[in-house]
Amino acid sequence: MPDPLLYVQAMVSAACVSALCLLAMVAKRRTAGEAWLNSACVPGIGLGLAVGYYVLSLHLAWPPANSLDRFLMIVLPVALGIELLAGFPCVPSWGAWCLRIGLAATMPRILLHSSVYLSGYDSDWPVWRTNAAMAVCAALLMGVWALLALLSKRSPGVSISFALCLTIQCAGLTVMMAGYIKGGAAALPLVATLMATTITARLIAKRSVAVANCCTLAIPGIGVVGLFGLLFIGCFFGRLSTGTALTMLLAPLLCWLTEIPLLRHRQPWQVGSFRLVLVAVPLAVVLGLAKRDFDRDMVPLLGMDLRPPSAITAQVGGTPSEIQPIALR
Amino acid sequence: MRRNVSVWVLTLVIGTIVCVGEKSASAADEYDYDLVHSSVSFKSRHLGISWIHGRFNDVSGKFSLDREQPSKSTFKLTIKTDSVDTANKARDEHLRQPDYFDTKQFPTIEFKSTSTKVIKGGYEVTGDFTMHGTTQKITIVLMGGEEHDFKGIKRVAFSTELALKRSDYGFDKRAIGAIGDKALIIIDCEGVRK
Repeated sequence: MPDPLLYVQAMVSAACVSALCLLAMVAKRRTAGEAWLNSACVPGIGLGLAVGYYVLSLHLAWPPANSLDRFLMIVLPVALGIELLAGFPCVPSWGAWCLRIGLAATMPRILLHSSVYLSGYDSDWPVWRTNAAMAVCAALLMGVWALLALLSKRSPGVSISFALCLTIQCAGLTVMMAGYIKGGAAALPLVATLMATTITARLIAKRSVAVANCCTLAIPGIGVVGLFGLLFIGCFFGRLSTGTALTMLLAPLLCWLTEIPLLRHRQPWQVGSFRLVLVAVPLAVVLGLAKRDFDRDMVPLLGMDLRPPSAITAQVGGTPSEIQPIALR
Repeated sequence: MRRNVSVWVLTLVIGTIVCVGEKSASAADEYDYDLVHSSVSFKSRHLGISWIHGRFNDVSGKFSLDREQPSKSTFKLTIKTDSVDTANKARDEHLRQPDYFDTKQFPTIEFKSTSTKVIKGGYEVTGDFTMHGTTQKITIVLMGGEEHDFKGIKRVAFSTELALKRSDYGFDKRAIGAIGDKALIIIDCEGVRK
């Protein structure tokens, strides 16, 4: 059962730890360059996630038993490691992108490991179909990752990270409403730590001339991997529909619309606000539909079928007096 | 000459082993799980005040009963988790989700015997019970085992009940919610052979 108080505790602790970790690292080194700040964000995010998931008590198993275990204990640490390496000045940009492509290509395979999709157990999923699905998913992840990184370079700002956090939060809620509570809850510490790191990095950048227009690629990178992982698990293991998952994965790309000449040269806060509004529109529609489906599904589970007795009679047969309300479900 | 003798001796030894093996194998009767006359059902507490009942509709298995050396008898049962049926479609769909059975990741629940002991009226079977990706050694008491011949088809039947805690098998206690951690599984099965 969802525990809102526990969720709030997990989010607050993840956010505080991320922000404090980043501030502690900045305090140690006063002359922070762009590459250094980018790398410093990664330990903050990692520590925040570790604390957030500890508070959330997700009961992860080692060796990983299910897709969520693999996502949190293999995929996210690898993504953090790649972004940490990418921040070092000695690592060339093409080297970092090779690592990112490697992660994007293997991530669907890692998440589907030992499931019915790969074991041949499910006749609806022959090998060719699974392989095709994994290839398409990897390509989508890489596409979204590259486009958001390019936008971050072209037009840096916190709005891309905020848009990603908004999308991850909505993805978590939708996955929860689709019946996978634990999977949806995994989004919460991720959102909290990315938000806290974004805000703290922004504050640091504002105070330092050297990184005034800093572009922290690590935050959108980890955000995209996190978003993709949640949607992939919700779609393949939960009941999240493909359309919903695709809409949410592609929603952050709407930030690119602010690159049209009409909007591009406006004030940064205006551009940021436009981006958030553009991303929020499809997310609001998806959330509304998910809520409608959730309410519809919960009625028979809670024994609250409010239809008139005649409608129930027509569906299942018998007279109204013979049909008792569905109870204790 | 010496080489020829060696080949003959080797052939004799292998032949003897094969014959003995066949003889012991032929002493065991192989039965297939009869889905029509069997059931695997369960019940679990709801809010601590009542019981929710359900069953698994897709089960398969094999029993090998050795009447001469009962300790060599083996039992194997495979339950398809997505065949869970609690007489409520919405709840069944919910139970298939990763918070519960996680049927896409763990499509089966399996029992495979490792040792068998004869007791009065049946067998005490110890084996590996795998559910939700976790394997635990359990001992079940199978009552029955007498063969019945009906229209040329030989049948043998067993029944057992076992209680287990789902949290022992990696189920998240908090996700279980209003449904109790402890589940009672009731197995009544028939095996058939021609």
